[in-house]
Amino acid sequence: MSSITASPAGDAAHDGAAESAVPLVAKNLVKLHLIASILWMISSMTWGFLASLQFLHAYPAEGIEWFSFGRIRLLHTNEIAYGCLVNGFIGCLYYVVPRLTGRKVLSAGLGLLVFWVWQFLTVATSVGQLLGKTQALEWGETPTGFKPGTFELNYIPVDFLIEVGAVLVALQFMTPIVKAMKERMYVSLWYISAGIVWLILTYVMGNTLVEWNFPGSSGAAASGLYIHDLVGLFVTPMGWGMMYFFVPIILRKPIWSHALSVIGFWSLAFFYPLNGVHHYLLSSIPMSVQYGAVISTMAVEIVVTTVIVNFFGTMWGRGRAIHSNLTIRWFYTGMILYFITCLQCAVHTTLSVQKVIHFTDWVPGHAHLVMLGVFSFWIIGMTQWLWPRMTGNEWYSRRLNHWQYWLTLIGLFTMFVDLLAAGVIHGYMLDALSPWMDIVRAMYPFWLLRTIAGGMILAGQILFFWNLWKTARTPKPYDHRWDLVDAGGAA
Amino acid sequence: MMDRLTTVLGVGGIGCFAVAFLLSGAYPYAITDGREPEAGWDEIAKDVSPDFKDMAVRFPGGFAGLEGGPDAAKAGAPEDAWRAAYAKAIRRGRDIYIAEACWHCHSQYVRPVANEDIRFGKVRSSRDDNNVAQRPVLWGTRRVGPDLTHEGGLRSNDWHAAHLLDPQSTSPGSVMPRYEWYFADGWQVARRVDPAVAARERLDPATARAVSGVYASEDEAKAEMARIAASLPDERSSEKTRMSVVRAKGPTPDGVAVLAYLQWLGTWEAPPKEGGAE
Ligand code: HEC
Repeated sequence: MSSITASPAGDAAHDGAAESAVPLVAKNLVKLHLIASILWMISSMTWGFLASLQFLHAYPAEGIEWFSFGRIRLLHTNEIAYGCLVNGFIGCLYYVVPRLTGRKVLSAGLGLLVFWVWQFLTVATSVGQLLGKTQALEWGETPTGFKPGTFELNYIPVDFLIEVGAVLVALQFMTPIVKAMKERMYVSLWYISAGIVWLILTYVMGNTLVEWNFPGSSGAAASGLYIHDLVGLFVTPMGWGMMYFFVPIILRKPIWSHALSVIGFWSLAFFYPLNGVHHYLLSSIPMSVQYGAVISTMAVEIVVTTVIVNFFGTMWGRGRAIHSNLTIRWFYTGMILYFITCLQCAVHTTLSVQKVIHFTDWVPGHAHLVMLGVFSFWIIGMTQWLWPRMTGNEWYSRRLNHWQYWLTLIGLFTMFVDLLAAGVIHGYMLDALSPWMDIVRAMYPFWLLRTIAGGMILAGQILFFWNLWKTARTPKPYDHRWDLVDAGGAA
Repeated sequence: MMDRLTTVLGVGGIGCFAVAFLLSGAYPYAITDGREPEAGWDEIAKDVSPDFKDMAVRFPGGFAGLEGGPDAAKAGAPEDAWRAAYAKAIRRGRDIYIAEACWHCHSQYVRPVANEDIRFGKVRSSRDDNNVAQRPVLWGTRRVGPDLTHEGGLRSNDWHAAHLLDPQSTSPGSVMPRYEWYFADGWQVARRVDPAVAARERLDPATARAVSGVYASEDEAKAEMARIAASLPDERSSEKTRMSVVRAKGPTPDGVAVLAYLQWLGTWEAPPKEGGAE
């Protein structure tokens, strides 16, 4: 296994000022995708914030057809998935893949094309959803372009075009990976290349079967499989692939154990997709399949532990970095939240906990911890590391970045605990046969706190965007002392 | 060899994906829905709900805009005309239910725990959901509002119309959005209450009581008023003078379709299997 020892830490010397004359990394593409990612994040959070006002009887656009609650709630989730996460990951891929393979991506022109196609599709998705062209597939409400369950075209076939976009992305990044596969294949590249293939397969599977082939309970099984594959087989491997790259580079030491990273990869590949049906437990899906999903969900927790141990092992001896380096702080906060999320999964996948929390606010609480607390945190962290390097400018304000961190973290954690508590109360009131409106009223205080917490998170990201913008616009050479995480470079 | 790209992509990328698909996608399909053909629109709309027939009288304006609505609303229309209109209406309503993402606030999935069968009704089997209205599946994801699996027949058409127009009118404090765009201005025949009766029943004398459904045009409402007047027996002829055509909000064809879908929910169940119990 000599090839996997080609740790990216060896590349650290090339960073920053030592950038070679022929640019390996297409900086403009990194910047474009990252800034788009942050803008979509803000947009998505704005919709989320507005949607939360519906629950306080304070939604300003109530009664306006196109901006009805149900429709904007779709924008909130789809923009975070297809706008923020996908752009963020692609942006980082433009940096990571050439660095790891020593080769350029297929074509910069294709890069621009993919960028604009992707933004177009995300906008088309949002517009389509406002117009009522939604597809009834959770996390894949992107319009099929067909009337539900038929082949009568009624809108831009977004699903199909996303598939084309995903294939273009695959061509772009798989070209250097395939060229370099004989020389070195660092573990990040396994995650990344598998993630790209999984995205394509998952998207086709979920978007066709549920719509045209599987009704009712088997449709639900396929839908659960799709939801989980999208998170587990695209977002998660991309995220971890990036972590395996950036953490050693920033801490300037190799990953603690390569054996553990091998175990982590293969058990993710095996167990994660088997979880799908846990989204519809206690249902008419055959019990054997439900139990299988419960057991593999628990198994994932073991996998996650190996990965977490690996990263904290890597951190060993460099603990100060949490304090001095904001990127590392975002990364490790994300990892701790990841651990909490997965621990939660292992517990709330059991049928006795499902009985209480299913269909309650517990679930959005959990989902925010994963999608925001883990993957968006990592994207923010990577953006913070890449932005000064890609623009060549020192941060406009490092203090604003700290404000962003604390606003986001406190907001998220408040929201998480708040929704969990709301979920438990909802669940027990359901069981106790309380009248439905009593349940709704019992939720008001939790919904109010959620809106406040959401406002904090949104404010944090607006500060961040402002900082990114000013940084790009204010020429001031980047101060490399900040990189010396172990030399006490205080923040 | 665990780290070769071909292994990573072949075994990990495709292999693991395929295993999961077989175990948690193809297998449940093979042992449930794959065994029987999915019930089509005609099958699930074969028993026309009385609430749907009532809509033709109550919301004639919106009903006339349904596909097949005018045929069904004709006096003495054959059951087949009703069925055709019904199938199209519940399908249109289902599509709106998807477009408005009602399924993000309502489930259609009664679980065998947490007293849900007491609250919402019978736990559904996979056979009951093996129908075209559940493709794409609408089990939902969050219950901000109650489960709607067995909503059909639970409430009156008027309740649903008032609720959809303004949920707080029937359920004070509800956080369900108002769906005003499924309602349009129409005309209705109204009757002034006799002052003596009003005093006895403590009614507001100015209250106009509706005696007809909501028509889309004023002329239709006037024609209806003439019909009602002509049918009144002599001893009630004084009521004629107290009738007038007033403006009223009624559901649009889309609104009627949503109500038809809601009133259909749970009224169809898979026929028992031949050859005994399951
Ligand atoms: C914000 C979430 C939300 C959305 C979106 C929503 N509802 Fe509701 N719905 C509720 C709540 C809360 C209640 C319970 C209080 C009430 O009766 O209004 C409810 C109640 C109902 C009821 C009454 C159930 C009963 O018998 O008590 C029906 C029917 C209904 N909704 C239909 C719909 C339809 C159709 C849509 C989409 C056009 C929809 N809802 C969208 C939250 C929502």
